[in-house]
Amino acid sequence: MKDIGPIFRALMHNRMGALLIALQIALTLAIVINSAFIIQQRSADIASPTGLDEANTAIFYTNLFEPNVDQRQLYRDDLEAIRAMPGVIAATHTNSTPASGSGWGEDLYTDAEMQSNDAISFGKFMVDEHGLETFNLDLVAGRNFRPDEMRVRDMTSTERPKVMVVSQALADELFPDGDALGKTVFDEPGGKSPIQIIGIYSHMQHAWPGASSINRSALLPEIIMFGGGMEYVVRSEPGQLETVMAQVEEYLSKNRSRIVDTVRSFEESKQRTYSGDIAMVKLLTAVIVVLIGITGLGIVGLAWFSVTQRQKQIGTRRALGATRGDIVRYFMVENGLITTAGLVLGVLGTVALNWFLDTNYETGRIPLWYLPAGMAVMWLLGQAAVLIPARRASNIPPALATRSI
Amino acid sequence: MLNYYLRLALASMRRTPVLSALMVLALGLGIGAFMTTFTVYYLMSGDPIPHKSDVLFAVQLDNWDPNDDPTESAKDVQPQITYRDGTWLMNAETPASRQAHMYGTGAVLVPEGDEPPFEERIRATWHTFFEMFDVPFLYGQPWSRVEDNDRASIAIIGRELNDRLFDGENSLGRSIRLDDSFFQVVGVIDDWQPVPRFYHADGTSRALADTEQIFIPMNRAIDQEWTPWGNTNCWKANDEDLPPLEGFLQGECVWTQFWAELETPRQVADYKEFLDNYVREQKKIGRFERPLNTFISDVMEWMEVNEIVRNDNRVLVRLSFLFLLVCVLNTVGLLMAKFMGKGGEVALRRAMGASRRAVFQQNLVEVGLIGVLGGLAGIGMAWLGLRAVESLYRGYQHLVHLDPVMLATAIFTATVFAVLAGMYPVWRVSRLAPASLLKTQ
Repeated sequence: MKDIGPIFRALMHNRMGALLIALQIALTLAIVINSAFIIQQRSADIASPTGLDEANTAIFYTNLFEPNVDQRQLYRDDLEAIRAMPGVIAATHTNSTPASGSGWGEDLYTDAEMQSNDAISFGKFMVDEHGLETFNLDLVAGRNFRPDEMRVRDMTSTERPKVMVVSQALADELFPDGDALGKTVFDEPGGKSPIQIIGIYSHMQHAWPGASSINRSALLPEIIMFGGGMEYVVRSEPGQLETVMAQVEEYLSKNRSRIVDTVRSFEESKQRTYSGDIAMVKLLTAVIVVLIGITGLGIVGLAWFSVTQRQKQIGTRRALGATRGDIVRYFMVENGLITTAGLVLGVLGTVALNWFLDTNYETGRIPLWYLPAGMAVMWLLGQAAVLIPARRASNIPPALATRSI
Repeated sequence: MLNYYLRLALASMRRTPVLSALMVLALGLGIGAFMTTFTVYYLMSGDPIPHKSDVLFAVQLDNWDPNDDPTESAKDVQPQITYRDGTWLMNAETPASRQAHMYGTGAVLVPEGDEPPFEERIRATWHTFFEMFDVPFLYGQPWSRVEDNDRASIAIIGRELNDRLFDGENSLGRSIRLDDSFFQVVGVIDDWQPVPRFYHADGTSRALADTEQIFIPMNRAIDQEWTPWGNTNCWKANDEDLPPLEGFLQGECVWTQFWAELETPRQVADYKEFLDNYVREQKKIGRFERPLNTFISDVMEWMEVNEIVRNDNRVLVRLSFLFLLVCVLNTVGLLMAKFMGKGGEVALRRAMGASRRAVFQQNLVEVGLIGVLGGLAGIGMAWLGLRAVESLYRGYQHLVHLDPVMLATAIFTATVFAVLAGMYPVWRVSRLAPASLLKTQ
């Protein structure tokens, strides 16, 4: 530790150089910590479970364009054929899938007096009695639909389902006392369109990631026929998804009255929805890697140069009895001093940048522990970077002191 | 003299190849990263129709739930309007030069011959759309009011679709089959891709979507019962006494877009007043229960209202600018080291009679050279960066090209940054007293 004094004084001879590295380290710390924070948040969003058996589920979207085809019958035939295929666990028609970015949202009223601004919003999935199994949901209370509870919604009929199965999150939001099962709620204000909650499943997200209502979803026994769009979800035995997808696509394509527009694994569908977040994670990861690389190389470059510059002094010190270790230590301590100064400045920069990003773009506040973690990483980076030139310096022979260049 | 300095600079860079490469690389990475994010930002926030953006106005009418939070700005009002209001406006005598009502839908296109049918997005609109938005025609021309009123089975198709279906020939008079109906081609439009696609831009992904390849009269699309493919937002249940489709069309759901062309401030004021009066009339029959909140926004205001530029994009621009700063600091540090090492050489030149000024200039040329090389490297990096961005995001294909302005900016910025960065070390080295350095050697 007694070295610090002379090293510090030597540093002060090249104040500008030291200040530049310190500034660079400060900025690097601010960017790295803020980026790492955003990466962590987005990764958590992307990884949040939808509730489905994500690895073994696929989505098929077809469009019927020939008139005079009995669409209701086509639904029945398709589903019967798909369910009979080997490797298929369950299949249902649907209007949307979780985390797909597009779906049907509605509000529920718990009584006739409730005002629309107090109504509970949720994401609605119109499926048949196989929906629960296809979406891999755990029924924690009540029962599934019966086939006779199915309703058809098309251009001529306004009949609505009378029962629904809801997520635990939706049940709790509607009835905080935990007695949702069996209760009747209303799809419209003033006590109109009553629907009874006949079952509760543990968890499923709705279609729109990022919404605060994400866990409030429900299944309704309903089939919609507006236009020719028809969507199916199929869940396969583990590991059989590819085979099942090929089989189902082949089957659906056989009917010349329609086109098979989209065949997509659930994972692919989810990735498309999260593509902005995935992009952000990848871009910011690249930023961190390149930034650490540049700053590391910069430290190596500068130290290397200063070793070349100070060859004679180093030789002299060695001739006067300094060990190789002393020389290495000199550069390590020097770097430690500069880095520490930079990191102190960097903490201020990190907090300021986070404040700016959070105020303007709602990125959230960085948890405190990010600061010491980031500082430790940067400190080690500095020490590792300076080690290479420091070792080269320690190899300078004492005899150099006696020579003139 | 410049030539000589350049040769000196090259020689000097060759003497320290690793250090020089590191400087060029750092500068290039910084410029490349910043250019990548800035290009996306610049194109997203660009004016999609520069010569008319101040006379085209998007219309918002606040027919929403009276229980909702009060409206403070256009951002709080639905970006779309109901079918019934739009239809009424299209048939009214208004102070506007032109109006266009529209929605996005789609159908299955069944080609003649062996090609398999495919899904195609359709813009259902009125004849005014094409002149209002300056859509370039390859063949034919817009349809007229008569065809709108007659609900005619006609279509205007895009160049891309015309190439696909008709080998790019003049296809006027030919027919295309959409679902189970035939539509006669009355026009073919040339490549037309406003970025952002302002006319239907609620949300970034729709704003970055391709323009449709099929345009048909809106009335005809309604007859076909083609439902909207964009957002449909409802706050009030449709009238259950009507058949479902009629109930939907007459209900309070918003799913259509509405534009007006207003050429003078006077017209703007008159049109706003006209809309307000319409809403006041409607209030009398029990609609529009909220306070009067009509908004008209010109194209650039409309892009603001719809928040087309993502927050992520702004965050990336900020971060990549700081990244560039780190790269510049890095380069200055390395330049300092390098120029301090040149003390001996500089002293020699000074002793031989070179003035401080000459030494300053000579070294500045070297810094400038590093800047130009860094800028060139930056363009390469930006090109790679934009390819990466294109593959990472959906729908960015219209956003990721290097335009000449950005290229020039890159080289310029890199050189300016390098010269600014190099100014201090160059100044320091030119101030060195030659005698002290020559002595110690």
